[in-house]
Amino acid sequence: MRCPLETRENREILVAYSSRALNAGDTELLEAHLQTCSACREFVRGQRVVWEALDGWEAAPVSADFDRRLFARIEQDVSWWQRMRGRLRPLLVYRALPVTAVAAVVVAGALLDWPWRPKVMPRPATAQVEGLQPDQVVHALDEMEVLNQFNHLMKPDSTEPKM
Amino acid sequence: MPEWVNTDMGGATAALDYDAELMLRVKDGDGASFGVLLEKHRSSVVHFLYRMVQHQAVAEELAQEVFLRVYRSRGTYEPTAKFTTWLFRIATHLALNSLRDGKNERSQERLDERSEDMPARQVEDHRPSVEQSMVRKAALDEVRQAVAALPDKQRAAVLMHKYKEMEYTQIARVLNCSESAVKSLLFRAYETLRARLAHMA
Repeated sequence: MRCPLETRENREILVAYSSRALNAGDTELLEAHLQTCSACREFVRGQRVVWEALDGWEAAPVSADFDRRLFARIEQDVSWWQRMRGRLRPLLVYRALPVTAVAAVVVAGALLDWPWRPKVMPRPATAQVEGLQPDQVVHALDEMEVLNQFNHLMKPDSTEPKM
Repeated sequence: MPEWVNTDMGGATAALDYDAELMLRVKDGDGASFGVLLEKHRSSVVHFLYRMVQHQAVAEELAQEVFLRVYRSRGTYEPTAKFTTWLFRIATHLALNSLRDGKNERSQERLDERSEDMPARQVEDHRPSVEQSMVRKAALDEVRQAVAALPDKQRAAVLMHKYKEMEYTQIARVLNCSESAVKSLLFRAYETLRARLAHMA
């Protein structure tokens, strides 16, 4: 048998043997090897010391009220959730319909106002008129007067132009 | 009932341990099954946590959190791994967090204070002498300090290996690392312990 200490992967065999967890076949092989390998013997001896020392370390018994405390916490946990559900229930049951209706109206309104319907801005018919200043009107009338006089000059025999 | 039960899950045969079956019953609203799981694993979890944090009150508080989380998770529980793997994953996670947060930074002092409360191995035929008790207490303190001095992950690996008799694959799943990483953790941990406790032979 190849010395388990030579390869890292095989060292576990020594740990398993020390804790008496190695199968019968491997135990037989290893014990034959231990007859000739002092390094492995030393390893096993040291490991058994550790194993026995750890065996002597017993944990304290669990407190008698462990379960009671745990179930109280579970109860608290459950009742907290129930309280939350209890508080949310009226909101969900009694206010669900009005809230849904309001939400539907808001959504419908938003859809109607959606940008895919191009807004047609009516052109203000009196925009230009409204924009004229009194001096502009006077100026326009002056120009009409000048044109009228010009027509008379060009057609002295014609009557007054129909406006 | 056997520890392992073959259960047909969606056409594929999957091995489902009894604990996982109990947990599935808890999921279905059977509170009594939770009680059975608690009864079965209470001591195991508390003792593991005690050896991790080395403080009884902190260990019990963490154990309460472990079982509370198990109960809270019942609705989403799926038996994808062995139940104890899941249970000890939660326990280890909480213990490592607790150690990291330094919640039990005074554990060494309290450990000494509580030494008298800790049960030593009792000899049935007669009570040990005062001298024997003191020697035993000193040895026990030495073991605890040697374990406490291990890096957290090495400590968790050793405790699962030694006291829970978990296989490398299961420890690897609990610690979320490879099997070879577990072997390495254990080898280094035992190497340290052998060096520290060699004189106890």
